Amino acid sequence: MKLSDIMGAANLSVYAEIAMILFIAAFVVIVIKTFAPGRQKTFDAASRMPLDDEHPQTPR
Amino acid sequence: MNARLDSFSYDDDIVRKFLWATMIWGLVGFLVGLIIAVQLPYPSANIAPYLTFGRLRPLHTNAVIFAFAGNAWFTGAYYSTQRLLKARMWSDGLSKFHFWGWQAIIVSAALTLPFGITQSKEYAELEWPIDIAIAVVWVAFAINFFVTLTKRRERHIYVAIWFYIASIITVAILHIFNNLSVPAGMWKSYSIYAGVQDAFMQWWYGHNAVAFFLTTPFLGLMYYFMPKAADRPVFSYKLSILHFWTLVFLYIWAGPHHLHYTALPDWASTLGMLFSVMLWMPSWGGMVNGLLTLRGAWHKVTEDPILKFFVVAVTAYGMSTFEGPMLSIKSVNALAHYTDWIIAHVHTGALGWNGFLTFGMVYWLVPRLFQTEMYSKKLVNLHFWLATFGILLYVVAIYSAGATQGLMWRAFDETGRLQYPDFVETVMRLMPMYWVRVVGGLLYISGMVLGIYNIFKTWANRPAAYVVPVIQAAPLEPNYTDAHAAASGGLWARFSSARWHRRWEGMPLFFSVMTAVAVIVASLFEIIPTFLIKSNVPTIASVKPYTPLELAGRDIYQREGCFNCHSQMIRPLTYETERYGDYSKPGESVYDHPFLWGSRRIGPDLARVGGKYPDLWHVRHMYNPREVTQKSIMPAYPKLQTNLIDFPTIQKHVDAMAMLGVPYGDAINRAPEMAKAQAAQIAASIEAAGGPKGLADKEIVALTAYLQRLGRDIKNAPAGTVQQPPAAPAAKPVALAAPSAPPGGR
Repeated sequence: MKLSDIMGAANLSVYAEIAMILFIAAFVVIVIKTFAPGRQKTFDAASRMPLDDEHPQTPR
Repeated sequence: MNARLDSFSYDDDIVRKFLWATMIWGLVGFLVGLIIAVQLPYPSANIAPYLTFGRLRPLHTNAVIFAFAGNAWFTGAYYSTQRLLKARMWSDGLSKFHFWGWQAIIVSAALTLPFGITQSKEYAELEWPIDIAIAVVWVAFAINFFVTLTKRRERHIYVAIWFYIASIITVAILHIFNNLSVPAGMWKSYSIYAGVQDAFMQWWYGHNAVAFFLTTPFLGLMYYFMPKAADRPVFSYKLSILHFWTLVFLYIWAGPHHLHYTALPDWASTLGMLFSVMLWMPSWGGMVNGLLTLRGAWHKVTEDPILKFFVVAVTAYGMSTFEGPMLSIKSVNALAHYTDWIIAHVHTGALGWNGFLTFGMVYWLVPRLFQTEMYSKKLVNLHFWLATFGILLYVVAIYSAGATQGLMWRAFDETGRLQYPDFVETVMRLMPMYWVRVVGGLLYISGMVLGIYNIFKTWANRPAAYVVPVIQAAPLEPNYTDAHAAASGGLWARFSSARWHRRWEGMPLFFSVMTAVAVIVASLFEIIPTFLIKSNVPTIASVKPYTPLELAGRDIYQREGCFNCHSQMIRPLTYETERYGDYSKPGESVYDHPFLWGSRRIGPDLARVGGKYPDLWHVRHMYNPREVTQKSIMPAYPKLQTNLIDFPTIQKHVDAMAMLGVPYGDAINRAPEMAKAQAAQIAASIEAAGGPKGLADKEIVALTAYLQRLGRDIKNAPAGTVQQPPAAPAAKPVALAAPSAPPGGR
């Protein structure tokens, strides 16, 4: 019995759909989190990071 | 609040080293590109055996991808990572090991590829000992990078660093999985995958090499150096976050678009196409974000050549990421695939995006690293214009070459026959465009020479000792405390607070491992079905392994890099089956370790060349292609008539194949004898036809045996054959030795 016989019989295709749902859910959370109101200040500080070689913009 | 301040300085010595390596290897890689550009319209420029197109083309691609673009990324990464994290690289020793190890790998590539030592998988040609060295150097780089990340003094990880993290992890995974092979000697190995699986694995790798070696690292550089050069923050940080996540979610799936209309299962090809089309949007989001970073600074672009380089680079990124999704649509791909169109597409990206972003970054860095004024701003400007016109000449000529050849291949005349049945006719039409490409390349290279001269003169003006500023910054608290921690608040307030994001950011190693797992899982879901679900690769009973002599011939085919110009994959399109014969089936390449489907047709497809011409035709053709096809641009291989077949090593090669599950039967014990018997038979037939005498132990016979075998097995399949037992009778080599076809076959 070869590996392909075992894997073929195991019928794993449902996991592909589960994985897709997980990936999309993670992506949606990222989008909501990024565009949620009230974070503009944090992002402004982050975007200034390349411009200052000496002082951390987000210390602590 | 911690009042203690750390004192430290940045390691710019390593940045200077990588910068020199970038420029010098860049020049070498471009020069090899120029040589192979000349070899196409002027075949006498092929100097067999070491300096032929088939051996130099992989050297060109490896040099520009891994030596030029690789060193450019490392230059920018070592400069920006330290400053964005407010931390020196964790180990100067590992930084140096990374530098010297990487240069040693480049040198070993330059020393093996011209000698025909190759795995013959595009951009993964280097043989297994070098592959192991690459993995070791990469791990050293990764350790140094990730430990520095944990020792950072800046809480937030800037988006450029995210791009570097994704690149480091994905490149490691791609490299390891695509290069899995069984060694058959020090400088020879066979891919553990065969045929469809190998093709799938290779283009999963190949496409993501473009994505995670030439795109995401350079986006990281863009998000750091464009704000630096424009002296203003990126247009939208939110957009850059979205850009990052969308790319890493989508890119890994796009590879199969390199295999449209091949023997790859249709579902995989469609999947690749869909994800490629989706990639257009985030790519353009990133391009717009880059260009708008210059808002209010457009007047500077006219004066500052560095910004000019950046603007063209980002525009080229936009153009090639629009064109890529378009080319991945099957009907467009049917025209463009195998033609110069793809070469033009790649060079828009490489010369425009990677090249110009590198040049802009280098010119920004040089005065800062060498702590003196740039020697000549005029020369920087001249470099910009020379290179810009070089790109224009190159891509306009090669786009039109691609469209011309693609349209000629598919043209039928009014009687329903191919309008250009003679392949060489479609090649001759391209010669003027090939010469224009040479001119374009020359312009681009002369810009590079000016750049190196300019940097050298700047370096000569450097101070006696570099000033190394000492930076003071507080270490991060072990735990993040939110200054404006909302005492109360609902679920939404907690979700949108920075707290959990910061806590997760504190675990970069954990996150990197999770990212790696996600990438592997996603990749496996795309690739595994072809390995494990039998209906994806239907077997054909009459397809048998290559005889030992044919295997030796196949090794020569790989060594000479024939696959760089000849595909072995006939697509199910009327104009292809009309020209080359029945389309290629997945079951036909089940013993092809590695697959040799090819990606470009500078010469005709060879999937069904077996039996098309007599043996003597191949002998003459290899000796001097222009003896049989007057206008052929193929290099001549006269040495194949004098080089001896290495009979003793054939056994080792057969054994390695048998280890991979190829049913070699009797040949496991007596491969050399079987090879000699078949060689004697072919040599006799050549002699009987009036060809040269005494070829029975010469390489040309092995190569002929291989070519005469291609695409024939499927024709031996009687309807309704029962699956044959794998072990073939001892008479196999004789039975499979390709008899000469009657002359007159086109």
